[in-house]
Amino acid sequence: MNEVVLDCYGEACPLPIVKSEKAIKDLDLGDLLIVQIDHSCAMKNLPEWAREQGYNVEVEEVDDGEWEVFIEKTK
Amino acid sequence: MNNESNTKKIKFFDKLKSNDFYIQVFKNPLTYVGAAVLLSVLQIVSLAATGNPWGVSGPLAYWGAWILEAFGGSVDKWYYFSSTGAQNVLKAGFINHAGTWRNIGVIFGALSATLLASGFKVKKIKSKKQIFAASIGGLLMGYGARLSFGCNIGALYSGITSMSLSGWVFAVAMFFGAAMGSKLLVKYLM
Repeated sequence: MNEVVLDCYGEACPLPIVKSEKAIKDLDLGDLLIVQIDHSCAMKNLPEWAREQGYNVEVEEVDDGEWEVFIEKTK
Repeated sequence: MNNESNTKKIKFFDKLKSNDFYIQVFKNPLTYVGAAVLLSVLQIVSLAATGNPWGVSGPLAYWGAWILEAFGGSVDKWYYFSSTGAQNVLKAGFINHAGTWRNIGVIFGALSATLLASGFKVKKIKSKKQIFAASIGGLLMGYGARLSFGCNIGALYSGITSMSLSGWVFAVAMFFGAAMGSKLLVKYLM
Protein backbone atom coordinates (compact mmCIF):
# COMPACT_ATOMS: atom_id res chain seq x y z
CA MET A 1 0.00 0.00 0.00
CA ASN A 2 1.31 3.38 -1.03
CA GLU A 3 0.87 6.66 0.78
CA VAL A 4 0.98 9.90 -1.16
CA VAL A 5 0.92 13.29 0.56
CA LEU A 6 -0.55 16.20 -1.39
CA ASP A 7 0.39 19.62 -0.01
CA CYS A 8 -2.51 22.00 -0.57
CA TYR A 9 -1.70 24.44 2.24
CA GLY A 10 -2.40 28.01 1.18
CA GLU A 11 -4.66 26.98 -1.66
CA ALA A 12 -8.28 28.00 -1.91
CA CYS A 13 -11.25 26.13 -3.37
CA PRO A 14 -11.59 24.53 -5.79
CA LEU A 15 -7.86 23.80 -6.22
CA PRO A 16 -7.64 21.09 -3.49
CA ILE A 17 -10.40 19.11 -5.20
CA VAL A 18 -8.99 19.52 -8.71
CA LYS A 19 -5.52 18.51 -7.50
CA SER A 20 -6.86 15.51 -5.56
CA GLU A 21 -8.85 14.40 -8.58
CA LYS A 22 -5.67 14.43 -10.64
CA ALA A 23 -3.49 12.80 -7.98
CA ILE A 24 -5.84 9.93 -7.22
CA LYS A 25 -5.91 8.87 -10.87
CA ASP A 26 -2.25 7.84 -10.65
CA LEU A 27 -2.78 5.75 -7.52
CA ASP A 28 -3.38 2.00 -7.36
CA LEU A 29 -6.30 0.36 -5.61
CA GLY A 30 -5.85 0.42 -1.84
CA ASP A 31 -3.43 3.36 -1.92
CA LEU A 32 -3.88 6.26 0.44
CA LEU A 33 -3.96 9.92 -0.58
CA ILE A 34 -3.35 12.38 2.24
CA VAL A 35 -4.44 15.90 1.30
CA GLN A 36 -3.20 18.70 3.54
CA ILE A 37 -5.55 21.70 3.55
CA ASP A 38 -5.99 24.95 5.48
CA HIS A 39 -9.05 26.32 3.71
CA SER A 40 -12.12 25.61 5.79
CA CYS A 41 -14.46 25.29 2.81
CA ALA A 42 -12.20 22.57 1.35
CA MET A 43 -12.65 20.78 4.67
CA LYS A 44 -16.33 20.50 3.77
CA ASN A 45 -16.32 19.94 0.01
CA LEU A 46 -13.21 17.75 -0.38
CA PRO A 47 -14.50 14.90 1.87
CA GLU A 48 -17.93 15.33 0.27
CA TRP A 49 -16.49 14.91 -3.21
CA ALA A 50 -14.39 11.88 -2.18
CA ARG A 51 -17.35 10.17 -0.50
CA GLU A 52 -19.44 10.75 -3.62
CA GLN A 53 -16.74 8.94 -5.59
CA GLY A 54 -17.16 6.01 -3.20
CA TYR A 55 -13.75 6.29 -1.49
CA ASN A 56 -13.15 5.80 2.23
CA VAL A 57 -12.59 9.20 3.81
CA GLU A 58 -11.35 10.39 7.15
CA VAL A 59 -10.61 13.96 8.25
CA GLU A 60 -8.13 14.80 10.95
CA GLU A 61 -7.55 18.23 12.45
CA VAL A 62 -3.76 18.44 12.75
CA ASP A 63 -3.51 22.03 14.01
CA ASP A 64 -5.61 25.20 14.33
CA GLY A 65 -7.07 25.67 10.88
CA GLU A 66 -5.14 22.78 9.36
CA TRP A 67 -6.59 19.47 8.31
CA GLU A 68 -5.45 16.24 6.72
CA VAL A 69 -7.98 14.44 4.60
CA PHE A 70 -7.26 10.72 4.23
CA ILE A 71 -8.71 9.29 1.06
CA GLU A 72 -8.40 5.57 0.41
CA LYS A 73 -8.76 4.57 -3.22
CA THR A 74 -11.19 1.73 -2.85
CA LYS A 75 -12.34 1.45 -6.42
CA MET B 1 -0.07 29.35 41.57
CA ASN B 2 0.25 30.58 38.06
CA ASN B 3 1.01 27.12 36.79
CA GLU B 4 -2.02 25.74 38.56
CA SER B 5 -4.42 28.20 36.94
CA ASN B 6 -2.79 27.48 33.60
CA THR B 7 -3.43 23.75 33.86
CA LYS B 8 -6.98 24.53 34.95
CA LYS B 9 -7.43 26.62 31.85
CA ILE B 10 -6.03 23.88 29.64
CA LYS B 11 -8.37 21.38 31.26
CA PHE B 12 -11.33 23.65 30.55
CA PHE B 13 -10.44 23.97 26.88
CA ASP B 14 -9.78 20.24 26.58
CA LYS B 15 -13.24 19.63 27.93
CA LEU B 16 -14.79 22.24 25.67
CA LYS B 17 -13.13 20.67 22.62
CA SER B 18 -15.02 17.42 23.14
CA ASN B 19 -18.31 19.03 24.17
CA ASP B 20 -21.03 17.91 21.75
CA PHE B 21 -22.85 21.23 21.75
CA TYR B 22 -19.63 23.14 21.02
CA ILE B 23 -18.71 20.78 18.17
CA GLN B 24 -22.18 20.97 16.66
CA VAL B 25 -22.61 24.75 16.84
CA PHE B 26 -19.11 26.25 16.56
CA LYS B 27 -16.82 23.60 15.11
CA ASN B 28 -18.72 21.83 12.35
CA PRO B 29 -19.74 23.83 9.29
CA LEU B 30 -23.47 24.49 8.87
CA THR B 31 -25.36 22.47 6.29
CA TYR B 32 -26.04 24.31 3.02
CA VAL B 33 -29.76 24.45 3.84
CA GLY B 34 -29.12 25.71 7.39
CA ALA B 35 -26.85 28.46 6.08
CA ALA B 36 -29.33 29.41 3.34
CA VAL B 37 -32.16 29.78 5.83
CA LEU B 38 -30.01 31.94 8.15
CA LEU B 39 -28.89 34.08 5.21
CA SER B 40 -32.48 34.66 4.10
CA VAL B 41 -33.70 35.59 7.56
CA LEU B 42 -30.78 37.97 8.15
CA GLN B 43 -31.13 39.72 4.79
CA ILE B 44 -34.82 40.34 5.60
CA VAL B 45 -33.74 41.85 8.92
CA SER B 46 -31.18 43.98 7.08
CA LEU B 47 -33.74 45.13 4.48
CA ALA B 48 -36.25 46.04 7.19
CA ALA B 49 -33.67 47.89 9.27
CA THR B 50 -31.90 49.86 6.53
CA GLY B 51 -34.61 50.16 3.87
CA ASN B 52 -32.19 48.94 1.18
CA PRO B 53 -31.56 45.42 -0.07
CA TRP B 54 -28.32 43.75 0.97
CA GLY B 55 -25.26 44.76 -1.05
CA VAL B 56 -21.54 44.39 -0.49
CA SER B 57 -19.55 46.03 -3.28
CA GLY B 58 -21.56 49.28 -3.38
CA PRO B 59 -20.28 50.40 0.04
CA LEU B 60 -16.74 49.47 -1.08
CA ALA B 61 -16.94 52.09 -3.83
CA TYR B 62 -17.87 54.69 -1.19
CA TRP B 63 -14.92 53.53 0.94
CA GLY B 64 -12.67 54.29 -2.02
CA ALA B 65 -14.23 57.73 -2.41
CA TRP B 66 -13.84 58.52 1.31
CA ILE B 67 -10.22 57.41 1.28
CA LEU B 68 -9.53 59.61 -1.75
CA GLU B 69 -11.26 62.54 -0.02
CA ALA B 70 -9.17 61.95 3.11
CA PHE B 71 -6.10 62.50 0.95
CA GLY B 72 -7.52 65.71 -0.46
CA GLY B 73 -9.01 64.25 -3.64
CA SER B 74 -12.53 64.80 -4.90
CA VAL B 75 -15.04 62.60 -6.71
CA ASP B 76 -17.63 65.35 -7.24
CA LYS B 77 -17.08 65.33 -11.00
CA TRP B 78 -17.14 61.53 -11.33
CA TYR B 79 -20.13 60.25 -13.25
CA TYR B 80 -20.50 57.29 -10.88
CA PHE B 81 -21.04 59.57 -7.84
CA SER B 82 -23.02 62.26 -9.72
CA SER B 83 -26.52 61.33 -8.46
CA THR B 84 -27.90 63.30 -5.53
CA GLY B 85 -28.35 60.04 -3.63
CA ALA B 86 -24.66 59.22 -3.94
CA GLN B 87 -23.66 62.79 -3.07
CA ASN B 88 -25.82 62.65 0.08
CA VAL B 89 -24.22 59.38 1.17
CA LEU B 90 -20.76 60.85 0.62
CA LYS B 91 -21.62 63.99 2.59
CA ALA B 92 -23.18 62.05 5.49
CA GLY B 93 -19.91 60.15 5.97
CA PHE B 94 -19.19 56.52 6.68
CA ILE B 95 -20.42 56.72 10.28
CA ASN B 96 -23.97 57.14 8.96
CA HIS B 97 -23.69 54.59 6.16
CA ALA B 98 -25.56 51.37 7.01
CA GLY B 99 -23.88 49.35 4.24
CA THR B 100 -20.46 50.22 5.64
CA TRP B 101 -21.37 48.88 9.08
CA ARG B 102 -22.92 45.79 7.58
CA ASN B 103 -19.68 45.07 5.68
CA ILE B 104 -17.60 45.60 8.82
CA GLY B 105 -20.02 43.28 10.62
CA VAL B 106 -19.49 40.59 7.98
CA ILE B 107 -15.71 40.84 8.37
CA PHE B 108 -15.81 40.66 12.18
CA GLY B 109 -18.47 37.95 12.06
CA ALA B 110 -16.30 35.80 9.82
CA LEU B 111 -13.27 36.41 12.04
CA SER B 112 -15.11 35.48 15.22
CA ALA B 113 -16.55 32.35 13.58
CA THR B 114 -13.06 31.03 12.71
CA LEU B 115 -11.73 32.04 16.13
CA LEU B 116 -14.59 30.25 17.92
CA ALA B 117 -13.91 27.14 15.85
CA SER B 118 -10.19 27.61 16.64
CA GLY B 119 -9.59 27.49 12.91
CA PHE B 120 -7.77 30.80 12.51
CA LYS B 121 -4.54 30.63 10.56
CA VAL B 122 -2.40 33.13 8.70
CA LYS B 123 -1.93 31.38 5.40
CA LYS B 124 1.37 31.30 3.58
CA ILE B 125 1.66 32.68 0.09
CA LYS B 126 2.86 29.74 -1.95
CA SER B 127 3.92 31.37 -5.16
CA LYS B 128 4.09 34.73 -6.92
CA LYS B 129 1.35 33.43 -9.20
CA GLN B 130 -1.09 33.59 -6.28
CA ILE B 131 -0.33 37.28 -5.66
CA PHE B 132 -0.73 37.99 -9.34
CA ALA B 133 -3.97 36.06 -9.71
CA ALA B 134 -5.49 37.55 -6.55
CA SER B 135 -4.63 41.12 -7.55
CA ILE B 136 -5.90 40.83 -11.11
CA GLY B 137 -8.95 38.88 -9.99
CA GLY B 138 -9.78 41.38 -7.27
CA LEU B 139 -9.47 44.36 -9.58
CA LEU B 140 -11.61 42.73 -12.29
CA MET B 141 -14.26 41.68 -9.78
CA GLY B 142 -14.46 45.14 -8.21
CA TYR B 143 -14.52 46.93 -11.55
CA GLY B 144 -17.06 44.50 -13.00
CA ALA B 145 -19.28 44.73 -9.94
CA ARG B 146 -19.49 48.51 -10.26
CA LEU B 147 -20.07 48.43 -14.03
CA SER B 148 -23.03 46.13 -13.50
CA PHE B 149 -24.25 48.00 -10.39
CA GLY B 150 -23.82 45.08 -8.07
CA CYS B 151 -21.90 41.95 -7.24
CA ASN B 152 -23.23 38.46 -6.65
CA ILE B 153 -24.97 39.83 -3.57
CA GLY B 154 -26.39 43.22 -4.60
CA ALA B 155 -27.21 42.34 -8.22
CA LEU B 156 -27.79 38.59 -8.06
CA TYR B 157 -29.04 37.69 -4.59
CA SER B 158 -30.91 40.90 -3.82
CA GLY B 159 -32.04 41.21 -7.45
CA ILE B 160 -33.67 37.79 -7.53
CA THR B 161 -35.18 38.13 -4.05
CA SER B 162 -36.72 41.46 -5.14
CA MET B 163 -38.36 39.64 -8.08
CA SER B 164 -36.26 41.60 -10.53
CA LEU B 165 -35.49 40.12 -13.95
CA SER B 166 -32.06 41.76 -13.84
CA GLY B 167 -30.99 39.26 -11.16
CA TRP B 168 -31.61 36.35 -13.54
CA VAL B 169 -29.78 38.07 -16.39
CA PHE B 170 -26.87 38.59 -14.00
CA ALA B 171 -27.02 34.89 -13.03
CA VAL B 172 -26.67 33.75 -16.67
CA ALA B 173 -23.74 36.12 -17.30
CA MET B 174 -22.08 35.11 -14.04
CA PHE B 175 -22.40 31.43 -14.90
CA PHE B 176 -20.40 31.89 -18.11
CA GLY B 177 -17.90 34.14 -16.33
CA ALA B 178 -17.38 31.55 -13.60
CA ALA B 179 -17.00 28.75 -16.17
CA MET B 180 -14.32 30.77 -17.96
CA GLY B 181 -12.67 31.67 -14.66
CA SER B 182 -12.39 28.06 -13.55
CA LYS B 183 -10.80 27.08 -16.88
CA LEU B 184 -8.19 29.83 -16.38
CA LEU B 185 -7.71 28.73 -12.76
CA VAL B 186 -6.94 25.15 -13.72
CA LYS B 187 -4.68 26.28 -16.55
CA TYR B 188 -2.56 28.82 -14.65
CA LEU B 189 -2.74 27.89 -10.96
CA MET B 190 -2.43 24.12 -11.05
